[in-house]
Amino acid sequence: MASASSADTTGTAGTEGDAPSYLPATVQGAVKILVTGPFGVGKTTLVGALSEIAPLRTEEVMTSAGVGVDDLTGRPDKTTTTVALDFGRITLNPQLALYLFGTPGQQRFWPLWEDLSRGALGAIALVDTRRLDESFDVLGQLEEQRIPFAVAVNVFPDTPEHPEDDLRSALDLLPEVPILRCDARDRQAAYDVLIDFVDHLLSTAVLELQR
Amino acid sequence: MSGPVRPYVITGGRSGTNRPALAIESLVSAVPAADLDPDLRSGDTLNREHQRILALCHDLLSVAEVAAHLRLPVSVVRVLVDDLWDLGAVQVRPPAPQADRLPTHLLEEVLVGLRQLR
Repeated sequence: MASASSADTTGTAGTEGDAPSYLPATVQGAVKILVTGPFGVGKTTLVGALSEIAPLRTEEVMTSAGVGVDDLTGRPDKTTTTVALDFGRITLNPQLALYLFGTPGQQRFWPLWEDLSRGALGAIALVDTRRLDESFDVLGQLEEQRIPFAVAVNVFPDTPEHPEDDLRSALDLLPEVPILRCDARDRQAAYDVLIDFVDHLLSTAVLELQR
Repeated sequence: MSGPVRPYVITGGRSGTNRPALAIESLVSAVPAADLDPDLRSGDTLNREHQRILALCHDLLSVAEVAAHLRLPVSVVRVLVDDLWDLGAVQVRPPAPQADRLPTHLLEEVLVGLRQLR
């Protein structure tokens, strides 16, 4: 069994021995937003800054070949890859919870995306401007899958200041894709990014309704 | 992880039911023991992993959280929760419906919640 981990950071809160934090019984359903981007861009950090629980890690098993093809032989030795997904949670009100799923943004994980993105409100694509090229794949995937998204620049101490227009053209982004900035470690900044993104989704939806 | 048993053994070789796969953000809670079919409580309908899920979900958790706490792959937990749902042993709350074609109402609710929590 081949194994690959997409873990962005070390030292993520383990789940062993952690008592589960339950949702109030009044919660009727949940929504989700994906946090994606290349390896090491800070997905788990952003999820952790926003989450009311210590980020949890779970694994999804991905069959790398023959997705959607029936396994007629019943052979259990297909090549599978185990992908680590870190996620967090925000109880928005007594009836509604939001889950944030750190979603690996490399091409070899695309088979996971269909399932993860189904029903998602949208995705925040974290970008490190010191290595923009690593984000090209994931931005292409978001566009191709028609997942509403915003770009959030994770500002590291040595991140150079890029004018938004330069960034937009370097990333070849459509005018309607918001470019946000944050320090993913900072709770307030992370909340601002999430709020701006949902606000953008809402304005887009309202515009669509008026059309 | 789940020990020496490979995932397809735990699920009896199944990789899914006829229903669409449970969403990772679906919420699960065990039906109180008193309300369970007595056969379910004593019989061998339920394997060890089913029972671990029931024990964990005395209150509400998502499929993803169940997987994380039990250290099982999400795909396995989906199948097991589906079994328990079929048996009437858990209640499942599907993702909040993105009403109609455009989910403005739901997005407003998310936005209000986030602004209050900021």
